[in-house]
Amino acid sequence: MKAMEANLLQLLLFSFVLLQWPSSASCLPLEPLRPPHPRILVLLEDHALISSHSYFFGSLFDRGYILDFKLASDPSLALKKFGEYSYDGIIIFSPSVDKFGGSINAASILDFVDSGRDLILAGDVGMSDTIRDIASECGVDFEEEPDAIVLDHFKPVSIENDIDHSFVAAYPSITSSVILGEPHIKAPILFAGVAHSVAPANNMVIKVLTGSPTAYSANPRVQLKESPALTGSSVGLVSAVQARNNARVIISGSLALFSNRFFTSAVKNAGVSSSHMFGNQQFVIELSKWVFHERGHLKAVNIHHHKVGDTKEPTMYRISDYLEYSMEIYEWTLNGWSPYLANDVQVQFYMMSPYVLKTMEHNGQGHYSTSFQVPDVYGVFQFKVEYNRLGYTGLSLSKQIPVRPFRHNEYERFIQAAYPYYSACFSMMFGFFVFGLAFLYHK
Amino acid sequence: MAGAAGDVKALFSSLKSAYVATPTKLKIIDLYVFYALCTAVIQVVYMALVGSFPFNAFLSGFLSCVGTAVLAVCLRMQVNPKNKEFKELSLERAFADFVLANLVLHLVIMNFLG
Repeated sequence: MKAMEANLLQLLLFSFVLLQWPSSASCLPLEPLRPPHPRILVLLEDHALISSHSYFFGSLFDRGYILDFKLASDPSLALKKFGEYSYDGIIIFSPSVDKFGGSINAASILDFVDSGRDLILAGDVGMSDTIRDIASECGVDFEEEPDAIVLDHFKPVSIENDIDHSFVAAYPSITSSVILGEPHIKAPILFAGVAHSVAPANNMVIKVLTGSPTAYSANPRVQLKESPALTGSSVGLVSAVQARNNARVIISGSLALFSNRFFTSAVKNAGVSSSHMFGNQQFVIELSKWVFHERGHLKAVNIHHHKVGDTKEPTMYRISDYLEYSMEIYEWTLNGWSPYLANDVQVQFYMMSPYVLKTMEHNGQGHYSTSFQVPDVYGVFQFKVEYNRLGYTGLSLSKQIPVRPFRHNEYERFIQAAYPYYSACFSMMFGFFVFGLAFLYHK
Repeated sequence: MAGAAGDVKALFSSLKSAYVATPTKLKIIDLYVFYALCTAVIQVVYMALVGSFPFNAFLSGFLSCVGTAVLAVCLRMQVNPKNKEFKELSLERAFADFVLANLVLHLVIMNFLG
């Protein structure tokens, strides 16, 4: 009786333990990238911006961000508390503020970005030097002429009181579903503000919105003596920066780009309102999803290499070995890490230059693998994965592994090309023997 | 011209008749040397065609042939009764030297063959 009870108890315990076994889910026990409700500090120059940009802030709030609205001159501003950052992102909607309150200044904001956190910076007409400095440290140089704004006389957007033609319509200059989301934005985007330029050698800054071919940047009140420096597509309106530490920055030359008024303006054709709205709302919301890492943040884990047929990782390979290399790549989404699927992830077997370059295949669950033969060169190699795609965080992985030459007993014993030489030597020995006999026993 | 051709012919026939007069023992050694040198030439031609990939094997084979030929020539010199230099050296002693040197040669060749 007691034995039966004991058995039943054991069975119950065992089944309890089995039920705790983790079921396969699309999200993995990797550390989450962000806490579920990231905190964003919003620096405003005027409390009226909360209501005039309420659609934008509302969309952030709906996606679970905790917004902390503060006046830019608030003396209690602080990014860090006890040495740790208390925010995951900053939105600076105070283009004319020269001196921030509290402990915030251009250097502290740049340190914030250096720590891997995100920033949305809006400049506008009459922006201060502090904002210009922050932008230029991020690689975006605003138009130096203080009163210059973006103008377009050939395709003016007819908005009342627009005598300068300073309201321009532009189309996104990149097609990237990571940065701008799906579906593609077909409507033009309304912009009224200051132009910026990006150095062409800078490959971390992406010009997301540039001026139409007839746009230019100049002071509308002053007659131009020479052609303006920024024209056409070199007029940058909105740029995105993906830094090497995966911090993301959006820099816009217009604060009104984010406003309710621009979200709800309808595209006018010849003075008559059409039913099509400008694409500002979709554009801004998709950009805000990208800048706060809801899309396009990659993580590579479980990097393994081993000889074909083995499972453990050796400390050294030999030339002409066959080996397998595998890794897993995940992308951060609002629901956690999910597998990243792409056909262009490549691994290099590199020593001063890539001896082997192979594209890895994935199994549909984010597990990438490939196999190749070690080249006929010995030395210290690296398994290198350098993956940089527009809008995605960069993957830069390398694992060092030495490769040794053949040991003296790993060569083939008898070389086929040398058979004539082997036979010559043996025939000489045989000939010597026969000659000896002939010489000695000849009469 | 006819005189030159006639002289060469006369030279060859005198060489041939002189050679026929050599003792048979020396002719055996000569045959042995000729065999070793032929094998050496075959190896060189093979290397010229195929390339010198296992160079140590080529050297080993070639030098075994050349070494054998050299040792045989030394034996011929010591055994030739007309050679005044080695008059006091007995046949057995010469042959024993020959055998010892060949042993060393083949030991080295086998090691170097790889």
